[in-house]
Amino acid sequence: MADRLTSRANPDVGKTVINGLALLLVLSYAVPYVYLVSTSLKPAADVQQIPPSFFPDRVTLENFETAIGTAGLPQAFLNSAIVAVLTTVLSLLIAVPAAYVATSYRRPLTVSFLLFALVTRMVPPVSLGVPLFQLLKSLGLLDTTTGLVLAHTSNAVPLALLLMAAFFENVPKDLEEAARIDGCSRFQAFLHIILPVMRGGMAITALFSFIASWNEFLFALLLTSQNSKTAPIVIAEFNSVYGLAWGPMTAAAVLYSLPVILVTLVLQKQIIGGLTFGAVKG
Amino acid sequence: MSERRFVLAMLSPAVLFLGLLVAYPVALLVYNSFFEVELMAPAAREWVGLGNYADALTSGRIHDSAIRTLKYAGFALFFEFLFGFGAALLFASIAERSRWHRTIFALPLMISPIVAGLLWRFLLVGDIGILNYGLTAIGVIPDPGAIRWLSDTDIVIYSVAAADIWLTTSFVALVSYAGLTNIPKDLIEAARIDGAGALSRFWHVTLPLMRPVIAVVLIVRGIDALKTFDLIWIQTQGGPRQASEVLSMNIYQRMVRYGDLGEASALATLFLLFMVALAGLAYWKIWRVDHG
Repeated sequence: MADRLTSRANPDVGKTVINGLALLLVLSYAVPYVYLVSTSLKPAADVQQIPPSFFPDRVTLENFETAIGTAGLPQAFLNSAIVAVLTTVLSLLIAVPAAYVATSYRRPLTVSFLLFALVTRMVPPVSLGVPLFQLLKSLGLLDTTTGLVLAHTSNAVPLALLLMAAFFENVPKDLEEAARIDGCSRFQAFLHIILPVMRGGMAITALFSFIASWNEFLFALLLTSQNSKTAPIVIAEFNSVYGLAWGPMTAAAVLYSLPVILVTLVLQKQIIGGLTFGAVKG
Repeated sequence: MSERRFVLAMLSPAVLFLGLLVAYPVALLVYNSFFEVELMAPAAREWVGLGNYADALTSGRIHDSAIRTLKYAGFALFFEFLFGFGAALLFASIAERSRWHRTIFALPLMISPIVAGLLWRFLLVGDIGILNYGLTAIGVIPDPGAIRWLSDTDIVIYSVAAADIWLTTSFVALVSYAGLTNIPKDLIEAARIDGAGALSRFWHVTLPLMRPVIAVVLIVRGIDALKTFDLIWIQTQGGPRQASEVLSMNIYQRMVRYGDLGEASALATLFLLFMVALAGLAYWKIWRVDHG
């Protein structure tokens, strides 16, 4: 495949063209985010200058100071982190045992359950958000961390179920049998033999659940108003409250997205593995 | 513990949770859709049968936003696939030397649509959008005011898709790349020995083998694009004059701004049925191709 696109008569020219194209593609892909970071580092007054400049004349953390000093932003980051952690823990507690029996004890009930989880993934968030608003309101959970955690978990559980089911598929069937012969109960075999083997899979599932919650916007917009607003909601509100406060807004967006980018950098292989599940194995 | 009780014990928390927080809300949604009911006073309701559905299906604004949703999804999907698959082919052709390229491509993979939307709004917006200055500098447009990406009602629905394309091209590229590297090298080699040219090898060997990967990528991305809310919301809030209002946003506005829970529910129910039917059809097709 190495030379599929290269001309056979002139391999060197072909290689150069391909390398050049690949480099151009990657650069043009990176430039928008670099511009976001570069803007966040400009002096506040320069952010909206006409014409705009790509790089800051002078690097300063002004915009970051303004953003962090904005009422509600630190609290919103804290809320985001709390909601994401609780969502992750709850989703794994619920999804891991279910995914295990759904893959290793195949019967009509468990198969139809996995199918239900798959269908749930197709439901548009707004279709679930409309009645969730009413449900949480009647439970007195509107604008609470608990309410938002429940909403995010309803989104994360089907995701975690399908991911974990894919991981459990790879566990040898006789692992549990061997443990059972050694005198373990089914539950002991699951807890002491199967789960330790699944640490990697659970870590990836946890990461996906965490990021899904960290990035979520629509439920947070619908279901919170004052006390439990998350970071993306406050970032979006830089708009309305301060006119177009692009400087602090880009700084907040960098603070919000940079951790995710760093995690992606470190765990690149595992993340791509998680995303390509099913897609590549078919 | 018997096997049956073990299965039930392991499964029941998930069943209960999804029952309470997915199945019950969906039932509530469908129930509400048959009533004239206000968001702020859901107790006072009047049975209207299919009245909300009739209103939804005859509303011009809803019709427009449905068409717009399809335009947006089609446009975004086309370019994501074109760029993503193209990038995957490029990376595969330089093989191991594409490691850094792929790393950079992977970086935006998990960032929030909110950040992508905000970033592209800043690139495109009014007087300060740097993209138009760049286009002016290389002579594509006469002056930076020549294209009003986010305020021209004719093009805004395509402009807001730029952020989507930027954000998810990497997903398409990396999934496709993984698929390409799974193709047995000797198949391609055999075709070469048989005298097949590069284009013919691509068309007759690579593409058919990539078919399941391509199908899954298109389905996953297509469904996501049809459901889009946040990415467009942060760029335009559906404006100007609803010119970028997609279906999710129309439902949101109907519920939050107008408080019309009944009609929002009817529309959300139709949207849900459409999405599940579409996904079902797509999966069934793939399943038939792979297993039939």
